[in-house]
Amino acid sequence: MVELSLPANSKVGRGKTYKAAPGAKRVKNFKIYRWSPDDGNNPRMDTYEVDLDKVGPMVLDALIHIKNEIDPTLTFRRSCREGICGSCAMNIDGDNTLACLKPTDDVKGEVAINPLPHMAVVKDLIPDLTQAYAQLRSIEPWMKSDTPPPDGERLQSKEERALLDGMWECILCFCCTTSCPSYWWNGDRYLGPAVLLAAYRWIADSRDEHAGSRLDALEDPFKLYRCHTIMNCTQTCPKGLNPAKAIAEIKKLQFERKA
Amino acid sequence: MAMQDKHPRVRVMQSPLGRARGLGSAQTGSGTWRLERVTAVALLPLSLWFVYVVLRLAHADYATTRAFVGEKIHAVLFLALIGSLFPHLALGLRAIIEDYVRGELTKFFCLFAVNAGCVLLALVAAISVLKLVS
Amino acid sequence: MEDMRDAMLVGRDSEGKTVLRPTSPHLQIYRWKITMLQSILHRVSGSALAAGALVLVTWLAAAASAPSVFAQVQWWIASPIGLLVLFGFSLSLFYHMASGLRHLAWDALWGFEKPQFNATSAWIFAFAFVATAFVWGVGFFLVQG
Repeated sequence: MVELSLPANSKVGRGKTYKAAPGAKRVKNFKIYRWSPDDGNNPRMDTYEVDLDKVGPMVLDALIHIKNEIDPTLTFRRSCREGICGSCAMNIDGDNTLACLKPTDDVKGEVAINPLPHMAVVKDLIPDLTQAYAQLRSIEPWMKSDTPPPDGERLQSKEERALLDGMWECILCFCCTTSCPSYWWNGDRYLGPAVLLAAYRWIADSRDEHAGSRLDALEDPFKLYRCHTIMNCTQTCPKGLNPAKAIAEIKKLQFERKA
Repeated sequence: MAMQDKHPRVRVMQSPLGRARGLGSAQTGSGTWRLERVTAVALLPLSLWFVYVVLRLAHADYATTRAFVGEKIHAVLFLALIGSLFPHLALGLRAIIEDYVRGELTKFFCLFAVNAGCVLLALVAAISVLKLVS
Repeated sequence: MEDMRDAMLVGRDSEGKTVLRPTSPHLQIYRWKITMLQSILHRVSGSALAAGALVLVTWLAAAASAPSVFAQVQWWIASPIGLLVLFGFSLSLFYHMASGLRHLAWDALWGFEKPQFNATSAWIFAFAFVATAFVWGVGFFLVQG
């Protein structure tokens, strides 16, 4: 049977508490998942008391403050701090989102921060995305056209271009993929919402000439049809996109081409 | 892999892309997806009719029940119900098994048991209805 | 496939030795959404109805068999426990029906916007409870009358 609880080496213990400086007025607790490959211990939750008067408004501001001022061993990915690189995807207060777009004030009480769910942990808040990236590559996310390139650009009508809205904006943070219970249980074979959205982005592109072979590659009980419309992907996307709808579009095309 | 090892031996060195592609597409999936929906649409009116039947026969005795089920129109509707219910049910249980059961052999036996069970039950139900047709 | 799942959990420590990586928390920490709850309820109600199909077959087979067998099955169904189980089946049926209808709407690409599926979530629960109450109301009325 599928493991609904965490394996023995993944059970999360209690960690240390880092007190705020005396005199801090607006203190908020950040409870953060910690695991290092080097000490042989189980993961733990460390608590950092952060003086909100000393940090910016977003959760990422607090994380950077903790790393710079309190505990330099805290490890997480971040880059653009404005929601376009997708690096700081993590689970904050139970929801997958980007730390740079999540205001600390949105969270009542202490701020629990975990890595993206049901992933192998590299260290602290960093999940191993090898499989997700390989799955993305497996759907060949580039334009495939056998018609030789024209002198100018490959043209597309306004209507054809409009079909790509809501898909080109995906930044591949994998918040959706790692929010999906179906991906939790069958991520070795199910492609997951982010990759299927990317697949549909190319199926829907009028300049791409391989929609048929792309649909062939997805016609599979696990790669595509593990999607049971649980909707966590669309509920959680920090960019407001709709992977569940893109997957439904693919299923509809699979149906139509056989009807 | 011995999961309790402090330093587990790497047994799979296949590239991530090779793993992700796996055995490729099975070229099935949309068929079962469609059958699940077709039977679902059929079951919408049929199950409402069945609720009506249950209310109608809530206090019926042996003879009344047999006469009711044996009426041609009712028998046809019962057979339609059986014919959509069991495929739908088998597909639903199949999805659950494929999602949660680990181990190829266990999965195979679970699927076999569900499918065989559904065929047998559907036959028993259909033959019972046919026996009552006057 | 088991090997693949395990392989994805092997990493390296700072000295390059292999190490078993933990799996990050999932069900333990994920905040339940109404749609996520309804998805698993769809499965639970469907499984309950599979058991209901078993009762249906038993009932039909009993009707096609001897009067004593039929009486036995009827007695069992009409017992307090039987009625409770029947109540569960009816609730499961109406829940599964409403939720299934939404699945069909989704397959037809209707209802994918957040305000829409949050509204349909409420309708599904409302339909399941109202329809169940209505059917049992009619049932009691029939018994009284």
